[in-house]
Amino acid sequence: MNVLEAIADRVEQEPIPSRVAFDILRIIEDENHSLKEVIQLTTNDAALTTEVLKLANTATYRRGEPVSTVNRAILLLGEMMVVGVAICASSSIVFNCPLNGYESADGEMWDHSLRTAVAARVVSRFGKKRISSGLAFTAGLLHDIGKTVISEFLEGRTSELVNACEEGTVADYLEAERKAVGTDHAEVGYKLACKWSLPDSLSVAIRDHHVPARAEEEYKSLVYTVHLADLIAMIGGAGTGVDSLAYSLDDHYEDWIQITKDDFALLLMNVEDEFISIKNLFPKQGT
Amino acid sequence: MKIVYVGVGEYATSNTGGVLVKTLALGSCVAVVALDRVSRSVGLLHVALPESSINPKRAEERPGMFADTGVDKLIASMRSAGYQGGELIIKLAGGASIMDPNNTFNIGKRNVLSIRKCLWRHKLGAVAEDVGGNISRSVSIDISQGKVTVSSPGRGEWLL
Repeated sequence: MNVLEAIADRVEQEPIPSRVAFDILRIIEDENHSLKEVIQLTTNDAALTTEVLKLANTATYRRGEPVSTVNRAILLLGEMMVVGVAICASSSIVFNCPLNGYESADGEMWDHSLRTAVAARVVSRFGKKRISSGLAFTAGLLHDIGKTVISEFLEGRTSELVNACEEGTVADYLEAERKAVGTDHAEVGYKLACKWSLPDSLSVAIRDHHVPARAEEEYKSLVYTVHLADLIAMIGGAGTGVDSLAYSLDDHYEDWIQITKDDFALLLMNVEDEFISIKNLFPKQGT
Repeated sequence: MKIVYVGVGEYATSNTGGVLVKTLALGSCVAVVALDRVSRSVGLLHVALPESSINPKRAEERPGMFADTGVDKLIASMRSAGYQGGELIIKLAGGASIMDPNNTFNIGKRNVLSIRKCLWRHKLGAVAEDVGGNISRSVSIDISQGKVTVSSPGRGEWLL
């Protein structure tokens, strides 16, 4: 079995990170669904119910009176945000595995994913085209999921990849991955998303978060949001190890996201604050 | 060995031997290290943003977040730890950026420039800098030896 076949084999074996999250996603995909179905699935899961209520009562979401019902909490958060919360609340070990192929310690993948999710939610407010902030959050959470599979195939090769980046023989770390194993974390993530039957919006965000110009027009706003959010997480110090900051900014982001240099400094601060607040709700997964 | 971690927007000073002062994962953030040979005290500040004017309220709550208010606090804190004024060894690390030829969001560079400016106001300047580029850095200071080490995933560690 060659490396690409071995990676494909691992993709086939990778379990879904959160069953309830993906069940809710499937319901939301149907435009004629009712909120009751989402409430039902949420209340069937005690851990999810608790987390949804906790998040709805944080300063970011709560308006006035304390939120005591799932119904009101979901209305405040939005259905897509419930999906994000379900992924956060799941006992999946996915996000907390150390990524040895990236020299990334236990928990760094979780911090990076959560910070990107928070940043995507904040960046979505600056979008020229309106997108759901919950969708942005969930896409941010899942954007690097391919690293959990490709990491083991990159083990022992980090110096080679770092040197390729530093010597300029590759454009960025994504190309260094492709050179080393014939595929990259975004493509592997896309394969996982297809295997799990994620909605196209999320699959494309995972596939194109480093090359947003390649995304289909209808998803570009979301993909540019995740692209920028990923870079913001890295700028803020939350990368996934050796590849941190070794990616380019696509300057066409201005066609989709209106953000000035001054906005950017404030945005970094807001992301830091919101990240700390949400991380306290989901301190560590999978242990 | 006891380790004191300095988070984003925080600062710490110590003159206790056998202590390691560390700050982790500096993206565009900058670590300002201060070493006073006379009092054998050490300070570390983790700056996130260049100017406190963007949010004065936040600067009051957390002065270490910004270069201008943070450097002032670090120097004041060094004085409390025994620094009497005069020579102070300053080292800087961090201030990295993503790969962006247009320097659109170069907060890292702006952080470094603002820190240098604030240090000049105190008649201080850095004797060593490891700043810029596209790498994430962590910094640790061994108080007993006055040794400052920078590390980065995949690149090992080196003395500053």
